Formats: sequence, C-alpha cells, structure tokens
Amino acid sequence: MSDFQVKSDAVDVDAIMRQIRARIREKRGTDYTEAEVQELAKVKLEQFLDPKGVRSDLVAQFRRTRTISPAPPNYTFEDDTIYETHRGLLRTIRRLLNPILKLFLNPNSIAAALHVQARVNEEFHQRFRQREDMDPLYYELVHNLALEVTRLGIEVHNMKMRVESVSSRIDFDERRSRALETVVQYKQARPSQQQRPQPQRQQDPRAQDQRPQETRLQPQAMNTPTAPAPVALAPVATMPPTSPAGDSIGDAAAVPMPASSAAPAGDRGDRPDGEGERRRRRRRRRRRPGQNMGDQQAGSGDDSSADGTGSDSGTGSDSGNDAQ
Amino acid sequence: MKIAIVVQRYGTEINGGAELHARYVAERLSRHASVEVLTTCAKDYLTWKNEWPSGEETVNGIRVRRFPVSHPRNTDDFGRRSALVFDREHSLADELAWLDSEGPKSPALIRHIEQARDEFDFFLFFSARYYHAWHGARAVPGKAILVPTAERDPAVGLHMFGLVFRGVRALMYNSVEERDLIHGVSGNQAVPGVVVGVGSAIPERIQPWRFRKKFNVKRPFAIYIGRIDENKGCPALFDHFINYAANYPRGLDLILLGKAVIPIPSHPRIRAVGFLSEEDKFDALAAADLLVMPSQFESLSMVALEAWALGKPVLVNGACDVLRGQTVRANGGLCYESFEEFAEAMYCLEAIGPIGAILGRQGREFFKRHYAWPVIEKKYLDMFDRLKRDSSVRPAEPWPGWWERRKRTLPPARQIVDNVPAGPVLR
Repeated sequence: MSDFQVKSDAVDVDAIMRQIRARIREKRGTDYTEAEVQELAKVKLEQFLDPKGVRSDLVAQFRRTRTISPAPPNYTFEDDTIYETHRGLLRTIRRLLNPILKLFLNPNSIAAALHVQARVNEEFHQRFRQREDMDPLYYELVHNLALEVTRLGIEVHNMKMRVESVSSRIDFDERRSRALETVVQYKQARPSQQQRPQPQRQQDPRAQDQRPQETRLQPQAMNTPTAPAPVALAPVATMPPTSPAGDSIGDAAAVPMPASSAAPAGDRGDRPDGEGERRRRRRRRRRRPGQNMGDQQAGSGDDSSADGTGSDSGTGSDSGNDAQ
Repeated sequence: MKIAIVVQRYGTEINGGAELHARYVAERLSRHASVEVLTTCAKDYLTWKNEWPSGEETVNGIRVRRFPVSHPRNTDDFGRRSALVFDREHSLADELAWLDSEGPKSPALIRHIEQARDEFDFFLFFSARYYHAWHGARAVPGKAILVPTAERDPAVGLHMFGLVFRGVRALMYNSVEERDLIHGVSGNQAVPGVVVGVGSAIPERIQPWRFRKKFNVKRPFAIYIGRIDENKGCPALFDHFINYAANYPRGLDLILLGKAVIPIPSHPRIRAVGFLSEEDKFDALAAADLLVMPSQFESLSMVALEAWALGKPVLVNGACDVLRGQTVRANGGLCYESFEEFAEAMYCLEAIGPIGAILGRQGREFFKRHYAWPVIEKKYLDMFDRLKRDSSVRPAEPWPGWWERRKRTLPPARQIVDNVPAGPVLR
C-alpha cells in the first residue's frame, strides 16, 4: 500500500476517507460502488458463484419428475386404404366406381402423400423418443458443468487472494533484502576486515577451533599491505609462516594457549619496525571507528587478538594488558 | 436535591448498554445529589426473569430498590406483535400490547413511582423503549427527564413514544443523530434537550504488557469489545477480516472481547478471549492498535469513547449514522462501508502506520472536551437548575378514548422512521 499524505499534526478524517476512496477507485479502475459491483456480479454469474445455489440432487429430481411422453396417434395408409370398410358389399361398390372417381381426381397421389406422411410421423416420434432418452444425460452434463464452474470460480478467487498475498510478501522481502544489502556493504568497507590475511586453514584444519589464535594477524601481513580480502568473517587460523619451530607450530596452534605465550620468540627478530613504530600503528588502528567492537565480537572476546597485539607486538605482556 | 434513576436492570454484573450508562450517571450524580435507583429484579434482557431479590440493597454506595417483573417475555408473542406494529397499520392499543409483551412489565415499580412522586425532585428514566420508562414518564410527567438511548430502529417510530417524547420535562440525548431522529419522529423540538452522552471510568493504572503477557499475545492487533452477535455486525466483521488477513499476512490480528452468541470462525489470526474484567479490558484496549466497531445500530458507543480516552483510533461501520458522525466529529478514526475501505483503513490505523497515532490523539482531545466526567456532570446539573427555575409544566396531551385507541389507523412504525432523513451530522 502506498502511504498517505499527512501534511500536519492534525488529520481530517473526511479528507483521509476521500483519499482512501480515490485509491480504491484507482485500483478498481472504474467508478462503480461496491453495491454496483455486487449487483453486476449477481446478474452475470448468479447461480454459479454460489455453491449453495446449485442443488446437488438436480439429476435425481429431474428423473423423478420426468414423464415419458406417449406416442402420438398415427395411422397406416396404403393404396387401398381409402376404400377400406368393414362392409364387404360397400367395399365392392367403391371399387366398381373407382374409375368414375378417377375422372374427378387422382386418389393415388393422395394415398401416396398420406402414406409418406404416416412414415414421417413414425420416424419423427422415434427421433423424439431418442432425444427424450438423451435429456437426462444433457441435464447431468450441464449440472456437472455448473458445479465445475462454481468450483473454478471459488478456486480463482482463492488464487487471486493468494497471489496478492505472495506479492505483498515479495514486496516485503525485497525491502528487507535491500536493507540487508546496505548493511553488508558497510561491513565490507571496514579496514580491519580488508587487512585480514588470507587464511592458512589448509595448513592445519584443527586450528579452526582455536579461537585464541585464530584471529591473530601475521607480522608480514601487517607490514606489507595486501589486497583486501573479500570477506574475512569466517574464523581464520593464522600462523606465522617463518616459524622457527617448523612443524611444532601446528602443535602449538592446536593447543589453546594464553596470549602471553602464544607468539613464538622468533617473531620479534623478524620485525623490521621498531617498538615505537609498532605502537603508533597500534594506536592508529585503535582510532579506527568500529574496529575494536567488531573484532571483539569476531574474536569471541579475545581483545588481544582483536588488536593484533598478540602477535603484532610479540610481547605477551601487551596482549595480556589489552585483554584485561 | 433528590433524584431517582429508573432503569430496566441495574447491577455491577451488567457491563454495557443503557444499564451501565445509568450506573455511571447514578454514581457520578451521587456526588452532587441524593440518588436512588428504581429498577426491576430482572438480570437477563431477553427473558426478564426475576433473578435478583426484590427490595432494597446498596450497590457501590447507591441505594437500589428492586421490583418484581410480572411475567417473563414470551418471544413468539413479542415477535408477532412486533411484526404487526412495525410493518402494518395498527392501533394505539396494539402498541401498548406490544410494550407489555416487550417487558420488563413491572406494575409494582410504576405504582411506587406514583407513590414516591413527592419524594424526588426529578426522575431520570433510561431507555425510552421499555415499559418502565413509558409508564413511569406518564406517571410523573412534571418531573420526568428521559435519557432515550434510542437507535434508528422501527420502535422509535411508534406513535405512543411520541406522546412521551413530547410529554416529559427534558431529554438528555446521547448524540446529535439521536436528537435529530427523535425530533423527526415526534416533533418534540419544544422540549428542552441537551446532547450529553456518558463518560467512562478509566482505571488509573493501565498496563498493556499485562494483557499481552496474560494472554500470550505477541503480534499487533485490532480489538473488538462487546457482545459477539449478529446484531452487532460481527459476521460482516469476520468476513472482512478473513479477507484482509489473506491479503495482508503481516497486518493486524483480531482479538475479540465479550460473550460469544454466534460461532466465531476458526482462523489463526482471530482470537476470542471471552468476557474480561474491567482491568483486563482496559489493558487489552491499551495494547491494541485500534478498536473495531462493526455495529450498524448504536445510539452511542461507550467503548469507542473508552478507546479515545486511551488515545486509540477507532474503525467504525460507516452505515451507522451515529458512529460515523461521532468519528468524523472527533476526527478520531475512520469508517468503512466495503471490504476495500476496511482493509485500507486497517492499514492506516496501525500503530506504526501513518495516521493511527494522530487520530488517536485527536480522539483523546475530543473525549476530554465532550465526554470527560466533569463536562457530563455539569450538563446534568445545568439541566436540573434550568428545570427548577422554569417550573411551568406543559399540559399533557389528551389521552385518546376507548374506541380511538382501538382504531387501526396508525401507519407502520418502520415507515415513520424511514421517512426521517438519515445520515450522520458531520460538524
């Protein structure tokens, strides 16, 4: 639904109702009132939209009330029918006088026409009877169609409502996804995530479970700017690549260690910067908005790793102080 | 000053309608005058069976005298007589028989009013359409003040009520629409009258969360308060709401408060919590986003006033002139006459919607301006003073003779009411 225009603190109900009615008219596309629409619907669909209007026993009732029409009176007409009589003498006289009759008219054509008419009557009655036999079938067919149309009407109505429901859900989801997209973009822009090193998970899969060490930054990654990782939200187990202990690093990573003893002693010697430079860098990072909080959340409360002090400075005392 | 309030039922168990209205007025006026309530022993408005004992008792500090009802209502007889007087030409005797049939017929109450006429300065009769008000007002016309609580139904058009509307000292109307209707059917413009309405007893401590916690309600909701009945427009409300719920899955739920007389549809977003205490009712109202009033026949919606008192907007049936007029005058809600309007209005009035809060605030201001108890009390007291100063009593209209009363020449009551212009008074 679109919003209403409310221009002041005071709202005029009449004005709002006018807006509502205008919007309904827009939606409906005509100026019909609800009553008029109902009237139109009634006229056009009348029985079909109302399932109660279709009687389920129509066919049975039809069969009950149906009467087979009696055969209409008919006759048989042959060539000598016009002379037929139960009196033998009379029949003979008629035959004798037949040539005289034919002087005045042609009784043969009349007899032929009446004969044809009798056959036509008989055939018509047979067809009529066949049609009567078919009537219940047609009636049943129409009845079933009416039921089916009713069902379809209801189903269409339900589908319309469902479509409207789904479209409103889609609208909501779209708005929600747009809102979420903006949040994701904001997180990607955070410098701390950009500076996260590429994971070394392949080196030691067990390290994924080691929260105290998993977010520790590599000294080299800190010193040499690298391309920002796309999204470094997954737990990352980062081990110093130049470890003097070699394979033992993996062992060290596998065991949760206190921050003070987590960094190998060899790290200190690898750092090209001095202590002052490291502190300045640490201070700069602290000033970056949102970094500490985000890292605290990502690092499951390990503040030392969030600040990078655990491995950055290489001094256990620093990281221990940050954690406190 | 001593005032008698005469009403068909009275008690704290009755939580709505003219009876609650009468109780509120009695309790409020008792601060300014000596108030006594005269009523019947009936508790059920459909049967009028004597359920309370007759005699005297005290209810919330008010002295109440109860009188027995002579017979309970015979529904079939009442239906037949209603059909006669509402839809066919009839006589005054037919109307009186209809009134007896409607009940609650209590000759003892009327006798007491006649006997105690000198004890009281004024008799306030509630609900014009019942036996006690018609006979009581005719027993003491010089001291009768009528609170008609009339709706736009055919009964108002009966000829006999015109005699009372024109014969009492004053009328206290509930709404402008009610006043216009009564003026239209009876032509009683000369009788002093004032639109008063009624206030409401709003608890001081209202806790919306308490209702949500008690009934485990988590989603925002619209609320209906009242009897869940066909006469109140509930079936149409259910239809509209089910349609709305299908169209707006994230819209409001519907919570129903009150006794269910008709079946409530089983729907995941419709919930009936039954009849609640006053405290729970106000908690629920405060927790709701809006109040729905689907009734088409109302003389005054007390629950709408209560909603406004709590700053909640209302959504009313636009087919009811009184509700529509009240809502538009208060600028405290919206009206609907179709499903589309219902759905749009529900959206508008959601608490997080664009105008719900503003309309609620305007409704609250309207309530304070017109329906706060000090305002109501002042209107009653001003009317008493006015009537005391103006002691002239209009002569009573002549009562028709025996034959005249039995002539079936009166037009159908429905026709009389239909001829009165309808529509809300918007300003």
